[in-house]
Amino acid sequence: MRVVVDHVSKTYTDRRGHSVPALHDVSLTVESEEFLALLGPSGCGKSTLLNLVAGLTAPSAGGVHLEGEPARGRSATAMVFQEFALFPWRTVQANVEFGLEEAGLGASERARRARAHIQLTGLAGFESKYPHQLSGGMRQRVGIARALAVDPAVLLMDEPFSALDAQTRQLMQEELLAIWERTRKTIVYVTHNIHEAVFMADRVVVLSRRPGRVLTMIPVALGRPRTEAMLGEPAFLAAVDRIWSLIRSQAQAALREGEA
Amino acid sequence: MRHVLGVLLAVLLLGATPASAQAQKVKLGVLKLTSSAVIFLGVEKGYFKEFGVEPELIFFQAAQPIAVALASGDIDIGGTGLTAGLYNIVAGGVRIWVVADKGREWPDHNLTALVVRKDLYDAGVHVLRDLKGRKIGITQVGSTFHYNMGRFLEKEGMALRDVELVPLQSLGAMSNALAAKRVDAIVTAEPFVSRLEADTTGVPIVRTGDTFPWQIAVMFYSDRFAKDRARAVAFLRGYVKASRHYFDAVIRQRSGPGYEEVVALTARYTGAPAAIIRKGFPYQDRDGRLLPGDVGRQTAWWFQHGLLKKPVLEKDIVDESFLREALQALK
Amino acid sequence: MSTRLPVPDRTRALERRGHPVVRVASLVTLVLLWELVTGTGWVQPLFLPSPLDVLGTGFEMLRSGELVGHVITSLRRIVLGFGLGALLGVAVGLAVGFWSLAEAVGNPLIAATFPIPKIALLPLLILWVGIGEASKVAVIMLGVFFPMAINTFAGVRTADPLLIRAAVSFGAGRWSLIRKVLLPSALPMIFAGLRLGAGTALLLLVAAEMIAANSGIGALVLNAQNLMETTKLMVGIVLLSLLGICSHWLLARLERLALPWRSHS
Repeated sequence: MRVVVDHVSKTYTDRRGHSVPALHDVSLTVESEEFLALLGPSGCGKSTLLNLVAGLTAPSAGGVHLEGEPARGRSATAMVFQEFALFPWRTVQANVEFGLEEAGLGASERARRARAHIQLTGLAGFESKYPHQLSGGMRQRVGIARALAVDPAVLLMDEPFSALDAQTRQLMQEELLAIWERTRKTIVYVTHNIHEAVFMADRVVVLSRRPGRVLTMIPVALGRPRTEAMLGEPAFLAAVDRIWSLIRSQAQAALREGEA
Repeated sequence: MRHVLGVLLAVLLLGATPASAQAQKVKLGVLKLTSSAVIFLGVEKGYFKEFGVEPELIFFQAAQPIAVALASGDIDIGGTGLTAGLYNIVAGGVRIWVVADKGREWPDHNLTALVVRKDLYDAGVHVLRDLKGRKIGITQVGSTFHYNMGRFLEKEGMALRDVELVPLQSLGAMSNALAAKRVDAIVTAEPFVSRLEADTTGVPIVRTGDTFPWQIAVMFYSDRFAKDRARAVAFLRGYVKASRHYFDAVIRQRSGPGYEEVVALTARYTGAPAAIIRKGFPYQDRDGRLLPGDVGRQTAWWFQHGLLKKPVLEKDIVDESFLREALQALK
Repeated sequence: MSTRLPVPDRTRALERRGHPVVRVASLVTLVLLWELVTGTGWVQPLFLPSPLDVLGTGFEMLRSGELVGHVITSLRRIVLGFGLGALLGVAVGLAVGFWSLAEAVGNPLIAATFPIPKIALLPLLILWVGIGEASKVAVIMLGVFFPMAINTFAGVRTADPLLIRAAVSFGAGRWSLIRKVLLPSALPMIFAGLRLGAGTALLLLVAAEMIAANSGIGALVLNAQNLMETTKLMVGIVLLSLLGICSHWLLARLERLALPWRSHS
C-alpha cells in the first residue's frame, strides 16, 4: 500500500484566533513496504503530517490518499505513540486486543491474534500485567503489538523510542527492524534523531522549520538487515553528515528563536 | 493601683450580694399558644408576683423539649401536654411532679377532633368504623393526638391496629397532607379544625371533648423546685388566682370586655390573630384541680400499648398537696 | 585538618507510623469512658444510657424482630435511592462530559439546582409524590445524583486526550469511546462521588424517615426521641454509625475491585 501526500498544507488557529501555518505544500509518496523516516527539528510539523495520514486531523489544502489493494479485514493504518498511549485500566493482553475489538473481531480470534503479537514483541509472560507495572521499553512493545495486531497496511510511528533511555532505544530499534523484516509493513517513522532516521529507514525525508516544507529526500545506501556495525560505515556517516549540514542552520535558528 | 483594685473588689462583692436578696425568679417553660393563656394572665396581672414569685417565661416549640428541659434542670416549672415521652422520663427515674390542671378536653370545649377528608366524607365516610384500614395522620408517636386516636378507636370497639397511623410531625404538615389527599383523616387541634372545616378540606367527625373528656395538659414541677416547698406553693397560689380569672372571664362569660381583655393579652404574647385565639381557649378547672384519676388512666394505657417502658402509677407523678395547700391559703 | 560531618536524615519529622495499638485503644477507651460515666450513675441514663444497656436493648430489639424490620426498610430505601441516583448521575455526567449540546443544556441546570440543600426539597417531594416510599427514595436519589453527575463530568473532562486520540486512531466510535475510554477515565472520580454520595444518602435517609415514616432507622430514632426512650435512640445512632462504616468499607472494596490498575504493587 502506497501513501500519497499531495500538495498538503495545514494551518492551525491558536487560542487567540491567529493562524499558525504548520505545513506548507508538502508532497511525498511512501512506497509499499518502504521504511520512510520523516526527519526535522522540533515543531516542523512532522507529527502533524503523521496525524494527517492517520486521519486524526484534516488538511487545510491538498489531499492524502492511500493507494493499493483495498484490504479486507485489516486496517489501513495504525499508530504507535511517543508517550505509548496505553489504556492504564487494561492489561497488556487487553491493550493489544483494543484495535481488534474496534475491528469487530470475535473474542477467540482477538485472543489468538493478540497472543501472537505479544509473542512477536517479546511480551510473553506479561499478558496480565497492567501498564504501570511495566518499564518504558516494555510499554512501547505493548504499543507496537497493539498497532501490529490490527495488521495495518501502513504503520505510523511518532517518535516511538524518544522517551526511552539510549541503550533501550538502540535495542528496540533493532527489534523493530527485525519485526519489519518479517512483516514487511509500509512504515512512516517520525523522528528528530538523524542517526536513528538513517539507521532505520530506506529513505529520509527532511522537513524544514515551521511551516514545514520538504527540504530534501535522501535515500540511505545501506544494506539490510541493518546491524550496529553499520553505524561506522562510510555510507551511514555520509548520509548523516549530509542531513546535518542541511538542517544545521535550521536548528540554529530554532535555538535562537527559543532563546528570544 | 491598689485603690482601683479595692474598688473593683467592692463592686464584685456588692454585685454578688443583692442577687440572693432579690425576689427569686423561676424558669417557666411554655408553648407560645393560646392554651398558655392562664400563665400569660398570671404574669400580666401580677398574680405570681403577689406571692413573691417571678416566673421567667421560656418559650418552646414543642411539648417534648419542655419535659426534657425540666428533667435536665434547665427549667423549674413546665406547662404543656401530657405525652408518652413525659411519662417515659418519669419511668426512666427522673422525678417530675404534675401539680395542677392546665387544660382539658371537655364537652362543649373541644380542642382536638378527627377530621376526615371532604371527598371521603361526601362518599359516605361519616363514622370511625368507615375509616378501618385507612391512613390517619397524627403529629408524633406518643403524642396527645396518638392517645386521642387510640381512645376514639377503643370507644368504638376498635383498636390502633385497625388503622394506619402516619406521624407527620406538625399540625401544619397534617393539614397539607390532608389537602393533598396523602392521608384519609387527621387528628388535629384548633384552630386547624375550624380552618379545615371552613375551606372545605375536611369534616370533623369526632370531637374529643364531646366524646371523651380527659386531662390533656398540666403544670408540672421539677423535683428540685418541688423541694422548695414554700415557693412551690406560692407559685400555685398565683396560678389559682389566674385560673379563676381565666375561668370567669373566658369559660363562663365567653364574650364581653373581660373576655376580650384576655384575648388581647394572649394575642400580644402569641402573635396570633384574635379569631384564632378565640378558637383555642381550653377548658380548665377554676381551682386548677386535676381530673381525678386521669393521669393514672393515661399511663396505664401507654404501658398497655408498649409505648411506656415501665408502668408509672399516679402516685409516682402526681402531687396535689401543693395545690391543696395553696387553695387553703387562698380561702 | 578535615572533619567528618555526619549527614542527618532530614525526613524523620515527616515519618508517619501506623500505631495499630493506639488505634484500637482509642476506641476502647471511648467505650470504657462511656461505660464509666454512665455505669456509675454520673450521667443519668435518661440523657446517656450505658453502652451495656444500649447493647442489651439492641439485642432485645434484634430478638423481637423490631430491629430487622427497621434495618431492612432503611436498606431498601437507601439501596434504591443510591442506586438510581448513582446510575442517573453517571449517565448524565457522561453525556454532559461528551456531547457539547448536552453540556449546554445540562450544565446551567445542574449549576442552578446543585446548591439547593436536598433536604429542603423533601416537603416539596412529599407534595408531589406523596408521603410513601417514593418521596423517601426520591430525596436520596436527588442527593446522590448531583455529586455523581458533577464528579463523572469532571472525570470525563480530565480524560487524557492522548488516550482518546489513540482510541480514535484504532477506529473507536462514540459508544466505544464513552465505554472504553471516558468511563474508565472517570472511574476514580466516580468512586469519589460514590463516597460523597453515601454520606449524603445516609443523612437524607434519616431526614426522610423522620417525616411520615413508621419504619426505618430514622423513624426508630425519631420515635425513640418522642417517647424519650434514650436507649433505643442510642441503638438507632449506633446502627447508623455501623451503616456508615459498612457502606464505606463496601465502597472501598468495590473500588479496589473496579480499579485494579490503581493498586500499585
